[in-house]
Amino acid sequence: MSLAAEAFVSQIAAAEPWPEKATLYQPLKEDQILLSDSASSLAVQTFLRMCGLPVQVSCCANAEYMSPSGKVPFIHVGNQVVSELGPIVQYIKAKGHSLSDGLDDVQRAEMKAYMELVNNMLLTAELYIQWCDDYTATEISRPRYSSPYSWPLNHILAYQKQWEVRRKMNAIGWSGKSLEQVYEDVSQCCQALSQRLGTQPYFFNKQPTELDALVFGHLFTILTTQLTNDELAEKVKSYTNLLSFCHHSKTSK
Amino acid sequence: MAEPMELLCWGGDWDLPSVHTDSLIVLAYAKFSDAKLAVKSIDWTWRTITASVPQLHYEGSAVTEPTQILNFLRKQRFNADYELTAKQGADTMAYIALLEEKLRPALLHTFWVDAENYANLTRPWFTSHSPFPLNFFVPGRQASLALSRILLTKAESPLLNITEVEGKIYSEAKECLNLLSHRLGNFHFFFGDTPTSLDAFVFGHIAPLIKAPLPSGQLQKHLNQLDNLCQFCNTILKNYFTDASAEKRTDCKYTVLINPEKNIVLMDDNLRSSPQHRPHRHESKPLALAGERNSTPPS
Repeated sequence: MSLAAEAFVSQIAAAEPWPEKATLYQPLKEDQILLSDSASSLAVQTFLRMCGLPVQVSCCANAEYMSPSGKVPFIHVGNQVVSELGPIVQYIKAKGHSLSDGLDDVQRAEMKAYMELVNNMLLTAELYIQWCDDYTATEISRPRYSSPYSWPLNHILAYQKQWEVRRKMNAIGWSGKSLEQVYEDVSQCCQALSQRLGTQPYFFNKQPTELDALVFGHLFTILTTQLTNDELAEKVKSYTNLLSFCHHSKTSK
Repeated sequence: MAEPMELLCWGGDWDLPSVHTDSLIVLAYAKFSDAKLAVKSIDWTWRTITASVPQLHYEGSAVTEPTQILNFLRKQRFNADYELTAKQGADTMAYIALLEEKLRPALLHTFWVDAENYANLTRPWFTSHSPFPLNFFVPGRQASLALSRILLTKAESPLLNITEVEGKIYSEAKECLNLLSHRLGNFHFFFGDTPTSLDAFVFGHIAPLIKAPLPSGQLQKHLNQLDNLCQFCNTILKNYFTDASAEKRTDCKYTVLINPEKNIVLMDDNLRSSPQHRPHRHESKPLALAGERNSTPPS
């Protein structure tokens, strides 16, 4: 969206309170959704729960195509549609709910930096493992992604998505990486998060912020999703304070 | 004695040791960690199109990408991050990710996609620093790589047009610069008084933006308003890269004077024009050393 359109949407957002029938759309949970989309969706759901805003989760096969930016999840509130965690956080801030108001400038800079770290490393690694690793792509990603569709559309859509993701990996320089290097990057990212978290219950003060929602979404999904091998989950499990963070966040909701 | 490590990188201009962000990162880190590198510029060689720059050669192996090169230098015990705590190390990773996601697309756009800058600054520079016939291909290839990277990472599917993405990437870059400025505050470097790898990364990204004479630079204007970041950049240039700028002074004109205390004073252009050092006629006489320097009568 251009800047003028964004400002316009924020004004409309501020005008109405949060409705009863807000909906979050994601791909089909049992058969279609993949690791990266599931992580993003859980992050958004956690964030909304932390803000105390009720939302219904609706699973549709064509969620990706309904989304304004092509990425899931997206929320349908009143007569507006907003996708991805970043814009959703801004939208909810325009409505008057915010989790990061208590942070000063330096802490807010740190929070944004850590959110970028998770997006840059964890999300990209998830996409790489799903689509650039041939074995996982053939066994899991392509069958699941195209499960709602019949032949030949399922083949076309699956290969198109794979081609898109591989192009993106090429552009950011990840196509030359081996799977071991990607696992190593995930491990380093988890180490950085673990060191930042330390022994605190949340990343900043005693209150959860959008960073906590994002990290919980990704880590919980990695721990509970069955891939072709368990190496990704093992990398996360080796950091005990991250495990207890996930457990604590899950039970406190 | 082991042979020194050799670094291939783009050449320098505009008071910088290199105009290329990734090369600057490696050069800055090498200075911070006292690693002796033999710097070889790839200008005017065929490597402008064959090599992926920066590239470190050591004992037959080649390492590319700034993060990999920094890891390699750390393993060779050139470690500028030795004194960081675990949390500061984690912060370093986070801020580097922030730079890559938010600032790099706007930098690529400013130098390679913005029509005015590309036509008047970037393309002439890279064309003049590549050998014939590569000078026809090198800038165009870099520009298309930059454009595709911006579109693939930042443009969401309805926004495949670059003009709609521009607003978004510039506003994100300005926010990123503001965040960096908040984090730096009044300190000399990001973690205390000694520079670390994060300082190298930030320097590599913002130095070309500060120093390049861009015809149309809204991001440059925004950065110039953030005094602490400009100060940060100039401090690093002054303290760690003065050899590069001092070498350029070899062909200045000098005047040799002898003052009444029989001390020989060498006066160059800068000193001559400053008022407090203006020599008085009755105190000194000009003296020309045969064959070595040009001499001019005292002003």
